Amino acid sequence: MNNYNSSSFPTSCLEEALEWARTASQKGNLDKAVTRWEVLLKAFPNHPPVLFGAIALYLQRDDIENANRLYQRANEQFPDHQNILFHGAQIAQKLGDISRAEALLETARQNFPDKIETWLQSTNFALTQNLYEQAELYNQQARSLFADHPQPHKQYAEIAMQRSDWQTALIRWESFRKQFPERPAGYLLAAEAAEKAGDKKLARKLKLAREYGEDILAEAEPADDPSFYKRRHRHATFSGLTELIWTKAVFNLRSETQRNYLSYLWWIIEPLLHMVVYFLVFGFLLQRGGEGFITFLLTGLIPYMWFNKAMSSSNNSIIAGQGLMLQVAIPSIVFPLVTLLQATIKQIPVYAVLLGFVWLQGHVPNFHWWALVPIIAVQLLLTVTFGTLLAALVPFVRDVSYLVPTGLTFLMFLSGVFYSYESIPPAWQDVFLMNPLAFLLKCYREVLIDGVWPDFHMLGIWTIIASTGLVISMLAYKKLRYVFPRVVLA
Amino acid sequence: MTQQPIISLRDVGVRYKRAGSIFRKTQYYQALKSINLDIYPGETLGILGRNGAGKSTLLKVISGILKPDSGEIINRGASVSLLALQAGFDPNLSGRDNAVLSGMLQGYSRKEIESKLEEIQDFSELGDFFYEPVRTYSSGMRTRLGFSVSTTISPDVLLIDEVLSVGDKEFRKKAEQVIIQKIQSQQTIILVSHSEQQIIRLCERSIIL
Repeated sequence: MNNYNSSSFPTSCLEEALEWARTASQKGNLDKAVTRWEVLLKAFPNHPPVLFGAIALYLQRDDIENANRLYQRANEQFPDHQNILFHGAQIAQKLGDISRAEALLETARQNFPDKIETWLQSTNFALTQNLYEQAELYNQQARSLFADHPQPHKQYAEIAMQRSDWQTALIRWESFRKQFPERPAGYLLAAEAAEKAGDKKLARKLKLAREYGEDILAEAEPADDPSFYKRRHRHATFSGLTELIWTKAVFNLRSETQRNYLSYLWWIIEPLLHMVVYFLVFGFLLQRGGEGFITFLLTGLIPYMWFNKAMSSSNNSIIAGQGLMLQVAIPSIVFPLVTLLQATIKQIPVYAVLLGFVWLQGHVPNFHWWALVPIIAVQLLLTVTFGTLLAALVPFVRDVSYLVPTGLTFLMFLSGVFYSYESIPPAWQDVFLMNPLAFLLKCYREVLIDGVWPDFHMLGIWTIIASTGLVISMLAYKKLRYVFPRVVLA
Repeated sequence: MTQQPIISLRDVGVRYKRAGSIFRKTQYYQALKSINLDIYPGETLGILGRNGAGKSTLLKVISGILKPDSGEIINRGASVSLLALQAGFDPNLSGRDNAVLSGMLQGYSRKEIESKLEEIQDFSELGDFFYEPVRTYSSGMRTRLGFSVSTTISPDVLLIDEVLSVGDKEFRKKAEQVIIQKIQSQQTIILVSHSEQQIIRLCERSIIL
């Protein structure tokens, strides 16, 4: 009734069934493997691969009793099969019958010298008997006969490991990795060797190399680019900071213009719109000024707008920069300086338009216009001083930022944008001109409209005051360097 | 270790102001308390800790962004940078411009960073998108760009704060590989993570906050 003869069964199905059982063994799920092999044993009781596969599994599980039971059966049916020798040797060894194991392997070496199993087993056996010389010899045989097979090479390194010769083991694992880079053993067992040898760093690298490739193990090359290494931080140098501020400002402007359809044109359009409003109100509705009023208005309004824009943007600059401040260690003064520079760059075309307009109005450029250089310089200095001081104050007393717009409007009315200082009572004129912006507007008008020299003496005094203020501001930033990140964080 | 540490923290404490106005008494939150730590050249140090344990604060102290409230930090001449992803990114600027700006903010000269632009473009795998405004990028693309810029940086001590968990799987692998290369070259690295697994895998030494 035994119909389940292997010859009558389709080979591919049998192969599949064997594969099914083998995968369980290979995955280390031995309980599942036992069930599967038992099923196979029932189905194909007399098929050598099934029988020997099952024996191998029991050996793997150290279940000598069952292994032996099946082995006896196999021995009766296939006494000439090579596995009779190999499994027999293993079972004999496990049962303590060393001489029988030795004899079986000896037979294997004579009868099956071309089988890899012969040499692997012989090496293993020699190793368990601590016959290292012998093991090396057998292993050498295996490596020369099966140069492309990973198993003997792996064993080669394992011999060294068993002898606790970690350095040799590492060398052997290295050549193993070279030949079989895909095998995890070359990394993991080598890592074990490195750890045993006390080189934890190498051990970790070996484990990582398994995931990220052999390159990791290459000796470290010194930092690739000397200019990127061992040098003063850019933010600690003046030129580095200047470059950063300039680039940031220019890029911010680029970003700003890219948002709008009219892009750069807005730099001109916006002040023009302002001017139209003021002109409508003061020149047309209130009928003030009469002829030349528009020139008068522009020469006041445009310098005032520069100051106004600079202040309102630097106002919140440090708070706006908090994200960056907590990511990179840059001096906080960069933030207000960037916004001030941005506002200033935008004024350049506006000033050009102003000068062109004044010329068209009949005020031909003359020698006195050179005085605009110190006037603009003083205004710049004052703007930077007030801008940085304001920006430094706001993070501590955020309420201040609410006062800034009102303050700027107040300043506009107090600076004589729409009227001349001469139209106020003479007793108050000196006090009025103590407001630096009012003084500067007076200077602009003297040069552009009246064609006379401005008050250089007062310009000098304001230069000194503004410079002193700037030095104080810088010192404050230096002192508050580590306070700002805390304050904005709070 | 016989080497001299390049950075030493002695009894470092940091506290944050929690609340306070004219009507309320100021309260403080102690983020770090007497931390003692030596950082040796060439090592990879891991910092482990739960959320809110002060990991990021510690990095901010080491990188010189924050100054400790108590104790001291001794830096023996090492440049230190926090690996800052997308530092100062402006959505309206092109990837290229953002790379330049971000690189400069992280301590490079414009020339230096411009000489690395090609490398950054390649590594970020952005292709022609490199010249498009960043606002048109997907978040993954943005991360890739940020990471590419930040990894061109090689300070003496590089501080990495949880950035190995960014981007898609493939890019993460690539990112990790770069970090590992940095670890491999003699760069000193301090890696912050809440994954113990990762710290064990990558670091020689670790501290727990």
